[in-house]
Formats: sequence, C-alpha cells, structure tokens
Amino acid sequence: MNGNIVIIGGGIAGMEAAKALLALGHTPILVEASKELGGHVASWHKLFPDMSSAKDIIDRLRADVRGANAFLGTKVISFNRLADGYSLKLSNGIVVNASAVLVSTGFRLFDATRKEEYGYGVYDHVITNSDLEAWFSGKEDPRVPENVGTVGFVHCVGSRDLKACNGQCSKVCCATAIKQAIEIKERFPYAKVYCFYMDLRLFGKKYEDFYVNAQRDYGIQFIRGRVSEVGETIDGGLQVKAEDTLSGKPLKVRLDLLVLMSGIVRNDSIRELSEMAGLETDSDGFLRSVDNEYSVVESNRPGIFFAGSCTGPKTVPETIAEARSAALSIHTYLSGE
Amino acid sequence: MTERFATGFHPFVLPFLAGMAFVLAVCAVKAAVVVGQLDKADRKKWLLSLIHPNLIIKNAVDIVLDCLIHVKLWKRNRILGLMHSSIAFGWFMIILLGHLEVLVYFPGKLATFYYPIFFDYFVEGGQHTVISKAMDAFLLLVIAGIALAVVKRFWSRLFGMKRTARPTLFNLLGLYSLWAIFPLRLVAEQCARAGNLTVAPWWAYSIALCTFMAVLPFTRYLHIPAEMLLITMRNAGVGITRPHKGMARVQADSCPNCGVCIDACPMNADTANLKNSTVYLTRQLRRGNEPRVREISDKCMLCGKCTSVCQVGVDGPKLRILARAARKYRITPDFSRISSDGYDTYWASGKILYFSGCMSQLTPNIGRSVESILRKSGVRYEWMDRDGGLCCGRPLHTAGRLKEAAALRKKNEEIIRKSGAHTLLVSCPICYREFSESYDLGSTKVAFYSEYFRKMMDKGLFTLEKGDTCYVYHDPCELGRGCGIYDSPRALIGKAAAIAEAPKNRAESVCCGGSLGSLSLDFEHREKITRASLENLYASKADAIATACPLCLATFARYADRPVKDLAQIIDEQIIM
Repeated sequence: MNGNIVIIGGGIAGMEAAKALLALGHTPILVEASKELGGHVASWHKLFPDMSSAKDIIDRLRADVRGANAFLGTKVISFNRLADGYSLKLSNGIVVNASAVLVSTGFRLFDATRKEEYGYGVYDHVITNSDLEAWFSGKEDPRVPENVGTVGFVHCVGSRDLKACNGQCSKVCCATAIKQAIEIKERFPYAKVYCFYMDLRLFGKKYEDFYVNAQRDYGIQFIRGRVSEVGETIDGGLQVKAEDTLSGKPLKVRLDLLVLMSGIVRNDSIRELSEMAGLETDSDGFLRSVDNEYSVVESNRPGIFFAGSCTGPKTVPETIAEARSAALSIHTYLSGE
Repeated sequence: MTERFATGFHPFVLPFLAGMAFVLAVCAVKAAVVVGQLDKADRKKWLLSLIHPNLIIKNAVDIVLDCLIHVKLWKRNRILGLMHSSIAFGWFMIILLGHLEVLVYFPGKLATFYYPIFFDYFVEGGQHTVISKAMDAFLLLVIAGIALAVVKRFWSRLFGMKRTARPTLFNLLGLYSLWAIFPLRLVAEQCARAGNLTVAPWWAYSIALCTFMAVLPFTRYLHIPAEMLLITMRNAGVGITRPHKGMARVQADSCPNCGVCIDACPMNADTANLKNSTVYLTRQLRRGNEPRVREISDKCMLCGKCTSVCQVGVDGPKLRILARAARKYRITPDFSRISSDGYDTYWASGKILYFSGCMSQLTPNIGRSVESILRKSGVRYEWMDRDGGLCCGRPLHTAGRLKEAAALRKKNEEIIRKSGAHTLLVSCPICYREFSESYDLGSTKVAFYSEYFRKMMDKGLFTLEKGDTCYVYHDPCELGRGCGIYDSPRALIGKAAAIAEAPKNRAESVCCGGSLGSLSLDFEHREKITRASLENLYASKADAIATACPLCLATFARYADRPVKDLAQIIDEQIIM
C-alpha cells in the first residue's frame, strides 16, 4: 500500500477533490485528457443564480491544486487490479500504482447536429448554449447578429428525449437558459426573448426568484411547447414552428437567433473506463454508484470513488460538495487500511 | 397383364372416392364464391383470359413452374426447392402416369376414378411396363421428398430456416396423412405384386388419402388448388380491391404457410412480433378472426419484404392496407379550405417543380443540398413546399384512409397541374411512390431525384469528384421494393465516393424501423428494428451510411455509430464547380 491517489478528470470535481486531499496531507495525481485543468466550467461565462464569474472559481481552484501532480493531455489506457490497489497505465507511458482512484470524468454536451430539425450546422443563426457562453466571454461568432431583435431558446435539446437516446433530465439547462436569456436582455435591452420549454424544473436555492425576475423584470416570454421545426426565411432569418400547449395553438415566430440548450449526456470515455476497471453503468448509461441516496460517491469496486457528473447531471454546488465528500471518503478508506 | 377381379371393385376404394368428391365439391364452391366476389370488370377480364390463347400458355407454364417445379423456391433455398418439387412434381407424375396406364391397358376402367390409384390391387403383372417403372421411380422421388420434409419438420435450421410457422391441429393432421400416403402405397403395391392380396395396407392407403383430402380445405394444403386460381387471376390482371373478398381471399388461401416471410420480416428483430408476420395474417384472414387481422394489419411497417420473398406472391402490404380501410372513423379531415388560388397559372412554367415532402422539414439538409445541386447545375426550378406544403397523401393511404388520401391528392394535383412545370422532382421515396402510383399530373412528369440527378450527370450538367469516404447504401423500402429503383443512387454515390454493399441489400434490404406504415408499433420496439437494420449495414465495414429517404436518415442518425447522409448531401459535397 503506497497511498497513491489518482484522480481521473481535472474539471471542478477533480480539482476540488485534489484540493481537499492536499489539505488532508495526500499528494494526488491528476490525469486530465485536455491541455488544461478546468473542464466545462472553464469555458462558461457566468454561473447561476448569483451570476458569479466562472473564471474566478477556476483560477482559484487552479492555484489551489498547484501542489498536486497533474498530467495534462493524458489519458488512462489500461487499468489493472492489484492485490491492494490498481495499476494504471497512462498515455504518456507512465505506470502508476494507486491505492485509491477517483473518477471525475464529467459529461459531454449533446451534439446538437443530431437534432437536424433544429438546423444546427445547417442554418446561419442557430447556436448552442456553449457557443453563447463563449460569445459572452468575448469570442467572436458570426452566427450572432450585430443587433439582435428576437431570440429563442429551446430547452431540453437532447435531454428527456428518447429519440435522442437520452431519457434523463440534464438538470441545469432550465436555470442556464434563464441565465442566458437575462444576459441577452442585458446586452440587447430591446430584444424579444422567447423560451420554449416542456417543463421548468427550478428546484435549487434562488432558482425560482431567478425565473420570476426573468418574467417580471426582463419581460422574457416562456412558451410551453416543443419546437417542431425550424426553417430559414429568404432574408436569412429563422422561422420557428411550435405549439403553445397551454393555449393549444400552433405558432410561428420569426427569430434572429436561436439558442439550443444542449443537454448533459454521458461522456464517451465512460464505457471504456467501466470496461477496463470493472465498473458498472446505470440504466441511464452513467456510472453506477453503490446507491443513489447514501453512497453516491462509492463505486462497486473497493478503492474507486466517484465525484461529479460521471454519475449523472449535476449542478456546480452539487459537484463541489460531492468532490469534498469523495476526498473525505478516500482519506477514511486509506487510513482504515 | 390381367385384371384379378371381374367386379373390379373393393370397398376400400370408398374412403378415397368420398374424400375426392368432398374436396372437389368444396373447391368448386370456394372458387365460385371468390369469382362471384370479383368486381364485374375483373370477372369479365378473368373469364376472357381463360380463352385467350397466349394467356392459356402463360397460365400453363406458370402453373408448371410455380406449383410443380417451385422455381422461385429453388432460387431462394435449394434444399426447400428440392423437397417441394420432389413431392409436388413426383405426385403429379404418378397421377398423370397412373391415368395413362389405365387409358392404355384398360380404357374402360378410366371412368371408375379409383383404378389408377389402386392399380396393382386390381391388375396382375402390371409392374413390368415402362409406365409402371417410371411411376415407381417417381414414387421413390416423392418418398425422398417426404424424408426431407420429416427432417425439416423437426430440424428446420438444417434447411436454413430460423423460424417456421406454427402448425395448427388441422395442418398437422394434413401433414401426417400426406406423409403416410406414399409409404403406404409402396407397401400395398409391393405386397400385391408379391401375390399377397391382403387388403389392410390398401385400406390404410385409401384412408390416408381420404384424411388428407377431407382436411385439405381447412389447412394450408388449400394452397395447392388456390395457387392455380391465383396464377390465372394474376395473369388476367385482377387486383385486390376488397379487404377479405375476391382476389384478397384467393391470396390468403394461396399462402402455403411455408414461413419464409417470418425470417424475412424486419419486425422480428423483436420476437414479440413473430405472430404478426404475413403467414399469420393469411391464416387469420381465412379464419375470419377480425381482432387479430386488425392487430396484425396495424402493426406492420408495410416494408414489402414478405412480398418480395413470397413464393406465391401474397401481397402482404396491400392486404393490410385494405384491412385497415375497413375501419370506421368518427372524424373525417376536411380539405375543402385548401385551394390553389394562391398560385398563379403557369407559376413554374418551363421549370422543375421540387417537392421535398413533410419529412424533409425535419431533415433540412436534404432540401438545401437538392437546391444547391440544382443551382450549381444551372437548372431552373421552383421549390413547391419550401415553407411547408401539403402532404402527398401517402400516410393516409397506408393508414387505409383511401378516400381522404384521394381528396388530398386532388388538391396537390390542382396546384401541380396549374404550375405548368415539366417535371416534378421528388426527394422523398414515400412521396415519390404516391406520386408515381396514384397521381394524375397530366403533362408533368414525376422524377425521383436519384434518377433525375443521374441523367443530369450523364448530360454533363455537373461532375463529381471521388472522395475518400466509403459509403454503404441503404435501400429505402418505398424506393427499392416499392418503386424498383436500386441502381441510380448507387451510380451517383459510386462517382462521389467508394461504395460497399451490406449482406442484405436491394430487394432484401432491412427496413430502418422508422416507417410510417405501422400504426401501432411503439418507439421501444422500433429501436430494436433500427439497431438490427444498422447491424446489417455495419457488416459492410463502410465508414458512413448513405440513404435516399428523409425518414431512414432521421431514424438511422438516432442510433448510428457513424455518419449517416442523404444522397443529395453526398452529391453536393463532391460536386466540382
């Protein structure tokens, strides 16, 4: 037993867990497939409901985990079970023998081109939630017009949708759509903003206030009904057909910009990892915890723990809390032996 | 050669005579009923065809090839072909030669009907003639065929059949009596030839014949006489017009329950659907079990694969559409508000009129690519349903709402005839089938985009650059089996990319599972069908999937692990300006 801890995935879950483990006197090894630590949150502009800057949180976490060993641009290519731990071979050639492993591989955003009827990649002014965040952060995007008159947000793109092979709720998109709609209104005060939703799930602290503000203070219109199809008008705008299921009427709206709230889907690496490490996956395709009430951070394998969206869609505060919980579980596990 | 008995009679011939009389009477009544059920024009057509010399020859040739030799079955499955033709052709030859034997040696006894069947009992020394030797050979052939049938009954997998139709009690009775007839005949003949005139084997032989003929009208063996009627009716051009009557009934009776359609049916990727194959539809139609007929008819995706593999040509989709048409609806859609007033006369004169169809509203890439190809080739066009248009009527048609479909077609016909376009270009095979089969568009020709683009390419209106991707082309049901278009999409893709073939392709293509044809198949069950269809395409080892149908495209894109593209997208990507 050498006490090594490997954390697979350097998003907020992996970094927060690394930070907590450092504080508990361990020196974890962070393995991150991309060139930078930070994951999805690093590419986000602001976080709901307090509109705090995502960059500040990421900068703070990056500084906090400086003491850990981080392998960037690195993947786990094999995973073997030892008598008292695991032997992980990394794509940079290094073999690490670990006593405990934390899986924090996160999620992937649904590929919006798969819902061809919404026209992502087909029409000029259709973007996704992550494209809009990048634009908010200052990245140029020709799809966003200079002056936005009308904007539509489509909720649940590729989530709660069996036809997209994703039955689960992505949990964060309702609040994200409201946040992004408010940010659009702040930039274009005269814009008309429509949100097409099938349900609004505003369960978290202050989310409901957020929703009320969006309607009362920003005049954002919420239409219950799925968008059925999107077409392009001759002047290059978009025409959206939907049904307002509350009034029971079909409607057509002309838009300058359509934002698709791509849902959270399981990361493709999950399948490979679960096969290599003998981890179980749940009926939704995400990794399976021992149970979904009391032991969410524990896996079916001794010494392997979970944190964050690898077990299902999570908000930022949930992920952070899980990361700390997992760090403590690892610490207890290692001291117990 | 001499007759043994002056009377020339023994009571054991009675079961045979009774069975024969019964089966002939039933068949005559049944035939009279279905002929009576035909539309007047069809009946006249059929009666006239029976005296038309060309059709007489055609009928005779088809009956020999299909009913006796089973040529179609040989093509599909050699061992099944061998088995069926051994029994059918062998038996036919025994009957024919038996009568010839009596005609040559005892012409006076031909009128007894039973002499040719029990010849060796009544005649001594008859076994030395050439005719008798030939009959012995055919009897051995039939017994060999029966041996194969016994093996197939219990180990059908050896014959390449994963599943066969479950026999009913009557079918089993028919089957076992049929198996018994020929060995009993062999035993009885050999005994008599050896001078042992014990009547027990002759009684057994006669009773086996009687049993077979008595149950024949209630079993699948009814297909033997029914198929002959079906062939003459088909050759006369009689179509199915009524759900359970006339030609539909003849088709149902002609189904031999071979079960080839069970393995072919794409729905059977999910075993829950096994009982919905066409073989069970014909069985329930014959029984008049309306609730099951409705259930089986509603479930089917109308992909037409059962018809393409059927040995007797039972038109499964057509039977189902008509069964659906018998249903009563309380609400009828009203299309009277739709009019062509919004269109100018000759609004697309001298141009192509492009119709993308409702499904393409959900797959916008297709319409855009078609438009781009037309523009790059300098072809003048109007896009009829760019902002949404009328439905072609096919979904109503397949749902059995024939009147409503016709009303909708009329509205489209008005708009298209008014346009003055020379060609109606269609990129959806579902619409194309309806346009080409059921529309009357006057001087406007209907063209499927693969056919039209191929002609454009041959004329040099555009040139394609061969890319590196290897595509496997999926034949959409409505296009391949439905309209017989297999080659033009392959010709175009072949110029734009490498092309691979799936093990089951062309007429054997496996439905994508998205078909509008089914009225009751739910999403979960469709997924299994789609995945099975994809497995067939993956077996080609191609990098990407190509198809020429918006519905196949959307359905495959949902589950495919590799890119799925429409023909128009592929052409547009590889066009050289």
